[in-house]
This record gives sequence, C-alpha cells and structure tokens, in this order.
Amino acid sequence: MKNLLALGFLLLVGLWYLSFSATRLDRLHHRVETSWANLDVLLQKRAAIALEIAHSDLADPASSMLLTGAAYQARDADVKNRSLAESGLSGALGLLISDGLPHASDSEQALLQELSALTAKIRVAISIHTDAVSSTQMVRKKFVVKTFRLAGTAPLPVTHEFESDVL
Amino acid sequence: MLTKKLKIGIVCPYGWDTPGGVQNHVRDLAEFLIAAGHTVSVLAPAIDEDQLPDYVVSAGKPISIPYNGAVARVLFGPIAYARVRQWIGSGDFDLLHLHEPAIPSISLLACWAAEGPMVGTFHAAAKRQKVIFAIGPILEPAIEKLSARIAVSEAARLTLTDHLETDAIVVPNGIYARRYSAGNFQEKWAGNTIGFIGRFEEPRKGLQVLVDALPIIARFAPDVKVFVAGPGDPKDFEKEIDPQLRDRFEFLGRISEQEKADFMSSVSLYVAPNTGGESFGIILAEALAGGACVVASDIPAFDSLLGGGEFGALFESENPTDLAKVIIDLLRDENKRKQLSIAGKAHAQIFDWDVVAEQIFSIYEMAIVGGQGVSLSSDGRAWGRFLSRDEVKK
Repeated sequence: MKNLLALGFLLLVGLWYLSFSATRLDRLHHRVETSWANLDVLLQKRAAIALEIAHSDLADPASSMLLTGAAYQARDADVKNRSLAESGLSGALGLLISDGLPHASDSEQALLQELSALTAKIRVAISIHTDAVSSTQMVRKKFVVKTFRLAGTAPLPVTHEFESDVL
Repeated sequence: MLTKKLKIGIVCPYGWDTPGGVQNHVRDLAEFLIAAGHTVSVLAPAIDEDQLPDYVVSAGKPISIPYNGAVARVLFGPIAYARVRQWIGSGDFDLLHLHEPAIPSISLLACWAAEGPMVGTFHAAAKRQKVIFAIGPILEPAIEKLSARIAVSEAARLTLTDHLETDAIVVPNGIYARRYSAGNFQEKWAGNTIGFIGRFEEPRKGLQVLVDALPIIARFAPDVKVFVAGPGDPKDFEKEIDPQLRDRFEFLGRISEQEKADFMSSVSLYVAPNTGGESFGIILAEALAGGACVVASDIPAFDSLLGGGEFGALFESENPTDLAKVIIDLLRDENKRKQLSIAGKAHAQIFDWDVVAEQIFSIYEMAIVGGQGVSLSSDGRAWGRFLSRDEVKK
C-alpha cells in the first residue's frame, strides 16, 4: 500500500514536471516569435529609410543604385535569403555612411539621424532575439523535452547570420 | 519617445525607506515616467507605510538578510507572495519592470507570478559564486520569462552571463545631469582639497585607502584638506587617523542634493577609493556631471565608467602609494585637472535621464509587442490549451 502511494506521488510529481516544462517551452517559443516580429518590423523600416536615402541627394548615382537594389532585396527576400539580403543592406548603408557626408542638408541630416536611432533599436532587438533563441535551444536539448517530444512540431528556432554583423 | 501611454508596474526589491542605489534608480525612473504621462505603480517593501509617495504600494516590512557581502533589506515568503499576486492581478499593467529579479525578493516572486511583457534590470556585480550550481535551475525558468534584460554596466552584464548564461543589454543608471551642472562654486571647499561622499564606515567604500595615502600627499601638498560627506559617526574613524593629520579631515555629515552639486564643482579632486562591490558607480557619474576632476580605483565598474582613464584618473585599487602619486600629480597640474573635468562633464551627458529613459522606453516598446498585457500565470497553460483543444473537437 505504502509503495503504491509513493509510486502515485512520484507519478504526480513527474506529471507536474512535464506540464511545467511544456509551459516553459511554450513561453520560450512565444518569446522567440514576438522578438522576431519586433526585429522584422524594424528591419522593414530600415529598408524604407534606405530607399529614402537612396532617392535623396545624399547618395551619388552609383551608391544610390547599390542601395536601392539592396533595400528592395531586403524587403522582398524570402526566409532563406533574408539573412544575406539584410547583410547586404547593412554593408551598403555602411559604405555610404563611412564615406562621410560633408554636404548634408537639414532634412537629410534628419534622415540620417532617424537611421542611426533605428540602428540602435535594431541592435537591441537583435540581442533580445538571439537571447530568446539561445534560451530556447538550451531547453530543447533537455532530456525530458526530447524524450516526451514536448516541443511538438515546432521547428527549432535559429539565429540568423546577419545578426552577428556589426550594423 | 513612446506616443502610447502605458500602465507600468515597477518592482523594487529593497526597502523603500533605506538608502541605496537601486531605490534611487527606481524612484527617479518612476518619477520620470510619470512626468512623461505614463501611469506607474511601484511595489516595494517599506518600514513606514505612511511615509510613501502615492505611486508606491507597500508589500510589507522588509527583513534583513546577509547577501553578497552586505546586509540586504528584502522581503519574501507566502504573505509577500500573496500581496505580489494581488498587486499584479488588480494592476492591469501593460508591462512589468522588475529590478534585481535574481535575488530572493519580491522581484523574483513577481517574475514567478506574472505572465506577459516583463523587463528585468540587473544591478549587482559579483564574482562567480559556487552556489549558483544549486540555485541556477530554480532561477532559470523564472529569469527566462523576462522579455528583455537590462544590465546597468558591463560588470553587471558579465555577472549575468557568468551566472545564468543569458545576455543583457547595457543601459546605464540615470542621473539628472542638469541638477549637478548647476552647482555653485563655494570658497570654503576650494583650494588643495579632496572630496569624498559615501557611507565612510563601510570598508568597501575605501576611505581607509585615502587615509593611508594622506601622509605622503601632505608631504608634497602641506595645505591639503579632505572633506568627507555622508552618513555615519566620524568618532571611531578619527581614531584610526594619524593624530598629526587629524585636522586635515573635515566630516560634513549628510549633505543635500544642492550641496552635493556645489561640492562637486568646488573641490579640486573627487576621490572614489572603493575596493569593490560596486557595479556602476552612480556617484562618479554625478561627480563628472558636476564638473569635478575624478580620481577612482581601477575596479571594473569605475574603469569602464571613466573610459579607462579618459574621463578621470585611475589608480591601482587598495594601493595607497599609487593613490598618493596620482593625487599629487593632479594637484600640481591644473591644466590636466581642467582637461579631465571638461572631458568628464561632456561624457556625463550619456547618463542623463533624458537619454537613459529613452533607451529604457525603446526596450519597453519591444517588450510589449504582441503581448496582451500582464496577467497572473498559471503554470498549467499547456494543459489549458490541451483541454480547450479537446473541447473544440467535441
């Protein structure tokens, strides 16, 4: 009788732990999704600003072409090519800015300021996203999660390569 | 800046009516957010519940526990947990901001009890502790609920990555830089003077290092004077000082914010000889904003705040001879002092609340995306979904 009670208790604890782990994982997946949504919105905004810069007098015709191309690519890229496209846009923007912009007018200054504020936000969003992903990956590696397939059919979240580029 | 006005709940782990860096930070942040039009409620332990500002809700009386080499006045336990749950449940918050959620306190309880957008700020910097192997597995599931983590300094961020293998965004503590730059020059504190502010009785504040350095300094600068401001009884401390040099020290007791600003703009040098246990060094930011020429020990927090010596002079921590050397060099070289104080004052603007609060805002914005506000967590969320799916099938 005593053994049975102990067994029942263990079973209960086990069940609670399973449910606890499932909730934890669910929450983490949610965090990955929202942080990615965040980052996605900011990146779209960046592409829009890049287009504006490309069409302003800031860029010479050659950089303008490069930037326009990179911005469209970043906007339209599918999941597979997204990382490459964003890296390309970072690179194109970096090139333009590192050249120095000696004769920017007020409105163009404002545009550049907007870009740098956005870049700072993107950096924060990236760090939040990569953090969520690595926490999730760590939990997904746990024995109990793998054995009981607590992740269900959710794909393993990954970080994107462009996230490690310095913007 | 956020255009949408938010309802924000902030949890302060330490007793509201005991002085401390975290409490000051929470108070300033809350008041800044309220001034910006947001609704803020702060939950904090408090000894005297009648003396609280109207945005603070008491969680009960704090208890003193030894933590991280000092005594922390925190609160936890079943009654506190019930209060925390009640505060979250009735608050209808868009976002929770938890301070120091990794220590046993109401911040950790709130992190445990709540579900939804949460931001955590980590203040402490500590060496890696062995005990983390035991408490890590308990902390981890709670800490990973935070949508975003903030560390107040590089030192605090390293502590976090060391202990909990999670990263954080560095946003410094805030000061009202304008208040300090408006200090008036006071003749009584000017000359070959050295300033020190802090609870000088605590060994880790390092006043002893300055006392040990003074005989050497006095040989080169016979008229040097040291002004010590801060709460505490100087009687015991004076016994430690060489009788011949005792009259070089003047204890001012606790000084007001305005006096602090005057103090920083008047003394020749501001010295922070702290030996450790410091994560950010808000007093240094204030000293820089006040236009003081700063000399500080080279502990990691100070080293990074002073840009490795760019915005203030550094000396080897706990080495009185080195401190004396740095002080003598600076007392003799007025140009160098000027140069450091101008560079420092410009640098201090990045700690201004206008800048810091904007950074915190943008993290808030990211945390609330997709969230439907803060609710009480039920750890059976997965079960709930499982069951509700069954219901749909029926």
